[in-house]
Amino acid sequence: MISHFLKINRFTLAVGVALAFSAVGVAKAEDGEYGVLMKTLANPFWGAMAQGVADGAKEAGVKYFQQAAESDQAAEPQLNLCNTMLERKPVAMITAAINSTNLLPCLKSAQEAGIKIVDLDNNLDQAVLDKEGVKVTFHIGSDNIAAGAQGAEYLANKLGKDAKGPVLVIEGLSGNITGEKRAKGFADKLKELAPGLEIVASLPGDWDRGKAASIATDTLTAHPDLVAIFCANDGMALGAVESVYAAGKGSQVTIIGVDGNVDAVKSIKEGRLNASVAQLPYLVGKQAVENVKKALGGEKVPESIAVPTLVLTKDVLDAGKEPMLQYVK
Amino acid sequence: MASETTQPGFWARVQRASVERLHIRLESLVVLLALSTAMALLSPYFLSLSNFLNILLATSTIGVLAIAATFVIGSGGLDLSLGSVMGLAGVAGAFVAVNLGWPSVFAVIACILAGGIAGYINGQLVTRAFVPAFIVTLGMLGLARGLALVISKGRAIYGLPPEIVYIGQGRPFGVPMPVIIFVLTAIVAHAVLAYTRFGRHTLALGDSEGAARAAGIRVEHHRRIIYTLSGALAGLAGLLFTARVNAGDPTAGINYELTAITAAIIGGTNLFGGRASILGTMIGALIMGVLQNGLTLLAVQSYYQQMAIGAVLILAVFIDQYQVRKESRV
Amino acid sequence: MTLLSLRGIRKSFGAVDVLHGVDLSVAAGEVVGLVGDNGAGKSTLMKTITGIYRADTGSIEFDGKDILALDPGQRRRLGIEMIYQDLSLAKQQDVASNIFLGREPTKKLLGLVPGFVDKSEMDRQAAKMIERLGAHLPSINRSVGSFSGGQQQTVAIARALTFNPKLVIMDEPTAALAVREVQSVLDLIRRLRSEGIAVILISHRLNDVLSVTDRIVVLRHGRADADLVTANTNMNEVVSRIVGGGDTAAAAAHEQRG
Repeated sequence: MISHFLKINRFTLAVGVALAFSAVGVAKAEDGEYGVLMKTLANPFWGAMAQGVADGAKEAGVKYFQQAAESDQAAEPQLNLCNTMLERKPVAMITAAINSTNLLPCLKSAQEAGIKIVDLDNNLDQAVLDKEGVKVTFHIGSDNIAAGAQGAEYLANKLGKDAKGPVLVIEGLSGNITGEKRAKGFADKLKELAPGLEIVASLPGDWDRGKAASIATDTLTAHPDLVAIFCANDGMALGAVESVYAAGKGSQVTIIGVDGNVDAVKSIKEGRLNASVAQLPYLVGKQAVENVKKALGGEKVPESIAVPTLVLTKDVLDAGKEPMLQYVK
Repeated sequence: MASETTQPGFWARVQRASVERLHIRLESLVVLLALSTAMALLSPYFLSLSNFLNILLATSTIGVLAIAATFVIGSGGLDLSLGSVMGLAGVAGAFVAVNLGWPSVFAVIACILAGGIAGYINGQLVTRAFVPAFIVTLGMLGLARGLALVISKGRAIYGLPPEIVYIGQGRPFGVPMPVIIFVLTAIVAHAVLAYTRFGRHTLALGDSEGAARAAGIRVEHHRRIIYTLSGALAGLAGLLFTARVNAGDPTAGINYELTAITAAIIGGTNLFGGRASILGTMIGALIMGVLQNGLTLLAVQSYYQQMAIGAVLILAVFIDQYQVRKESRV
Repeated sequence: MTLLSLRGIRKSFGAVDVLHGVDLSVAAGEVVGLVGDNGAGKSTLMKTITGIYRADTGSIEFDGKDILALDPGQRRRLGIEMIYQDLSLAKQQDVASNIFLGREPTKKLLGLVPGFVDKSEMDRQAAKMIERLGAHLPSINRSVGSFSGGQQQTVAIARALTFNPKLVIMDEPTAALAVREVQSVLDLIRRLRSEGIAVILISHRLNDVLSVTDRIVVLRHGRADADLVTANTNMNEVVSRIVGGGDTAAAAAHEQRG
């Protein structure tokens, strides 16, 4: 009899698990829905962008559903998610691809189904898209080269254009176009504004806080007179901050990150991180939704939308007068 | 209880037939069907041919790895390097096709060969150096990943030739190529493990190495073949991955070994060897695939999906342990 | 007629010498008891006969052939079977799988693809063998791990007898059995002898050894120290050869009771 009881129990358990997890978000799909596919949400940057999408959708009065891969390296799982999302037949797919090719098969299917495609945060490469025959409605995101250049401008202003000394650049994940653009924008502008500041190393930190911390420690050992570190995102910059302060060189080394995320803002207010070139991910998400609505309504939308970036420093944050600060989440 | 053993009921007879003939536990099939029914009721998009193919497509890479995991675990071993070897194999194939510009067939060979060599090294170390499989394959996890990054200089290798991309994105008769490759591989692997001497010796080895040795099975030799096979299958998975995303990605397959092992365990493989079936593992992989697909269709955030899979894993082993205890009590 | 002949077998594991030149011969249809104290080298000697261990020096001839270079599988095919003390069963596999492990009959799938195990043939023969042994198992399709000790022993014996062996080596076959089961194992040994099958019986239970063997070989410090005809010896002598002389009356008396 016990076995009979458990036999029933087995079915119930299985179905129960399915139902329990479905109940978390039972949402019946509706017509005119937007699909939003992020890289990951395990990062305040993407969290802010998701908030922008949510607020933008609410203001514009549109429905959307959102998914994210488990990490920003899960290229194939993200493709699987994308394929599955198409089954809900959204009118638009707003995608932040993990790399420039992983979502292409899905985007092709979307295009065939007449779904509008938006490249969120500029992860797709126009040359590859042209070759594959995928037409994107628009790219939207920060201008990463400009963001890097703004970092260099800040550094040249702070140290003076005749300053001399070694500088470390910590790039993103190898081969990631965003990190490359930021590093390149920084390096080119720095050469132009303050040629005495020499980049002694430019290494991939894989977007990883711990890895960036180790790179900073190692570089400080090799170059004890290091004057500045530019990191392609805030997470890595915060890792570098820890290493620099641990080495007792907080006042000697200027550290700059990119993103302007909450952790970075906190660190800047505490006077540890010197600056972060804030990408306004909230604004990127919000404008993405607004522009998709326009495009769906037949309005003309530029092929590439650059959302401005803003250099956050302690002065800017304390003064609180910069109007774009409201978008720094 | 006694009456149940002398005159098994209908359910018991079907159960036994499925275990004996198909080598699967009926419970896992029931869970799969129950889940599918639940998803079909909850989402109007679940029950369609294109979504069915979607599930199989999403399961294909991990499914091939899970086949490898089933053989290794069934033989009483462990291969933690599956995901890394898969990444290495994909990069090796892309390197041959793109950087060397060799014909596509060599890229395919390179994938499987790279995986096979890594697996062969695992097997040699496990059987000759007496280093535990856990350590050997954990070491290979690092070695293969590092080598993939070295070969690719840390960057994904893009621009594969159309023949390779066809392997990942082509759809003969509307069926995605990875699905065709995956299903064929699974059928052959199931036949080998369940119905051939090689397969029976694999399970006997995992059950009791002493018994296998006493029965005249060349234990070390057999283990080396299993690890090599495991690596070669990881190579095939690497080919599918690379062809699907059109890039030899050195970060491909991170943590995939754990997902593959999960599929095998949900499918009824004994983690300590001796009991395993490919069909069971396929059901395990599909349970995970259906769960992920259905929850995505229901717009459930992916973090909950991971929780759901974790819960199913523990549940599956719980049911299995209960069954095993019940059988040994009768 | 000599079936098995060992000469000067030596075996060491690293610095530990276990066998120091053992000579042993067994005739066809003969039951030989192998006794000795713990650590005398009985198990090692048997494993060098079955091929699990390779002797360092010495010669092994079986049925007129030199088998020193053969692996366990090849020696099994020549007719050497062993029933291990731990039974060496694959506990999660069923009866037929255990009996035929390493020697599965094959057939062609759909008459085309070779190499497939003929499971129904295996099941049929396994059932026949179990019946011949007069044993009762709950089901031959259950994993042997779910059987009692005696039932598992039956499977191990069935495995040893299915392929018409010429020599069966039994390592402590009665150690874990109830009294009634012990008698049936001893009966089985007598039956094997009457069928012309040679048996080497390793046992601590000297009563069993004395009651069923033709000859008793005592292994001591890695050598065959004594070769006694069972009919001409007694418990006292066997015990004294095992412990190496001295006053053994007390030990023998203990064994007698035991």
